[in-house]
This record gives sequence, structure tokens and C-alpha cells, in this order.
Amino acid sequence: MSTNHNRPLSDVEIRVKALESLLVEKGLVDAAAVDALIDTYEHKVGPRNGAQVVARAWQDPAYKARLLADGTAAIAELGFTGMQGEDMVVVENTLDTHNVIVCTLCSCYPWPTLGLPPVWFKSAAYRSRVVLDPRGVLSEFGLEIPAEIRVQVWDSTSEIRYMVLPERPAGTEGWHEAQLAALVTRDAMIGVAKVTHPNE
Amino acid sequence: MAINREQAVAAASRGASTRVAQVIAARFKVGDRIRIRNINPVGHTRVPRYIRGKVATIERAYGVFIFPDTHAAQAGEKPQHLYAARFSARELWGEQANPLDNVVVDVWDDYVDPI
Repeated sequence: MSTNHNRPLSDVEIRVKALESLLVEKGLVDAAAVDALIDTYEHKVGPRNGAQVVARAWQDPAYKARLLADGTAAIAELGFTGMQGEDMVVVENTLDTHNVIVCTLCSCYPWPTLGLPPVWFKSAAYRSRVVLDPRGVLSEFGLEIPAEIRVQVWDSTSEIRYMVLPERPAGTEGWHEAQLAALVTRDAMIGVAKVTHPNE
Repeated sequence: MAINREQAVAAASRGASTRVAQVIAARFKVGDRIRIRNINPVGHTRVPRYIRGKVATIERAYGVFIFPDTHAAQAGEKPQHLYAARFSARELWGEQANPLDNVVVDVWDDYVDPI
């Protein structure tokens, strides 16, 4: 675990360290395997992956059709596979529907495309309130959805992992895929934000 | 025996789907109206309380998956169909909800009754 050594460890950190050293001592866990997994999820897997998927879908209508029909296969085309992304469903924001993702039961989240979930996604406050009052919660994120636009909340109770395909912002016609990908945020792929043009 | 570095990274990038390659007749299809059973099991379940007894429409049919309620209890995989069920926010929360809004929840066959 990477820590700055200028503060005392929290109870959770101490418990994790104790558990890890026990597992290593007993030969149940290889410390190098733990380090490799941490390195993977700290440095290699994250929302830039999902942003590439979104940008490709915006650029290529045939890819977008494949993505909405079979998210897992279309995302694997870009090389993103693995734990917590075995069965992916991508839901598209449209002119009349805004989608938002939650896991009310725990913290299910599509790791291969979005990385590990932010702390707020795992918080009871978000999980319990976004199903009951999605418009209020989105408003706290700074996103006001007009009353005539449907808000559709997807509760990830199964092993299906959901991701939002946000709307492409106006004024980005003719942009390259890499430029588009740079605009796409993690929050937009959860559905608590929109993708905006840099001049907005 | 502990898995090594290469095995750990390979397993993470491969994952392990809970989809089951078994042909089972689906009881429901997209568009069907359903009601979630009002069940209150003591052990693990994936049916959130806020949808128990509520009426929904099958939004998507995902195919056959391991049933977590029995799997978590080490009582077998009990493979069955998984669906995304679409609830009107008003059905769940009453008049305070915007009439356009929905909540979509994944539900296994054992949670569902036909209407």
C-alpha cells in the first residue's frame, strides 16, 4: 500500500496491513501478486479506458450500434476486459432520457472501463438517495435535469455492470477521437455529470 | 497455494462471468408486466427491499446466470434467467416522484411473479 508516512495509520489501514502480513506469512498470498494488482488498478485501469470507448462510439456509428447491442464484446474490441466487467451493458443518454448508475446493495462498478469506484459512489448517502430522489442528488453534483427529461436510474443488483454513454457535446463536430476522449469524465459515465465543451 | 504475480494479473484481466451456458426456457420476455415477490430471506439476497411487492415491466432479458441467493449459501448455482425490470418512480415512491422517471433493477426469475 502506498502511504505518506507523516500521519498515523487509520484503523482500517492497520487492519489491512495485519491481514496482508498474516496471509503472506501463511503462504496464502504472494506479496508480489498483491503489488501487481494494486499497480494494475492504480495506474493501468481507470476512466480513461471508458473515455476511449465513448469517443469511439461518438465517432463511429457502427461501433456505437455494437456497443449498445453487446457492451462486453464492443468494449473488448478496445482491449478492456476483466474483473467487474465480465458482462457489460452500456445505456445511452438521449434527447429525452438521462441515465445514472448506482449499486444500492454495495459498490458494484465497471472496473475495466471506469477503474475503482470513487468513495462517494460507495457511500450510503449516494446509494440510498439516488434511487429515491435522483434529481435532488444530481442537483448536488451541479447537474439540473429539466422536469420534461426522464431520469432513469440503473441499480446494479446483479453481476451486470452498467456504464452511461453520454451525449456528445455540441461544437465538437470534426474533432479527432483523442480530442473527444479528453473531454469525457468519469462522472459523465456514471451519469452524475454531462460532457461539456471546453468553452462552456 | 498462493497464486503468483502473473496468475493474479491474468485472472484480473480475464475475470469470471457468472453467466451460465445452459438452455432454460424464460418465463418472461421484454415488455411483460411483473410483480416482485415480497420475500424476506434471512440469508444473502439481491432483491432490494424498495422493490418488494412492486409492479414493473421487463426492460431487458439477459439470459441465464448463477442465482446468488443459493450460491452465497453454498446451496448450489441454481442457474436461472436474469432480467432488468423497469419500475416507474411513482410506483416505488408515490406522488412525490417525477411521473417520467424510472428505476431499473436487475432481478432473477425467483424474485418475480407474473401479473
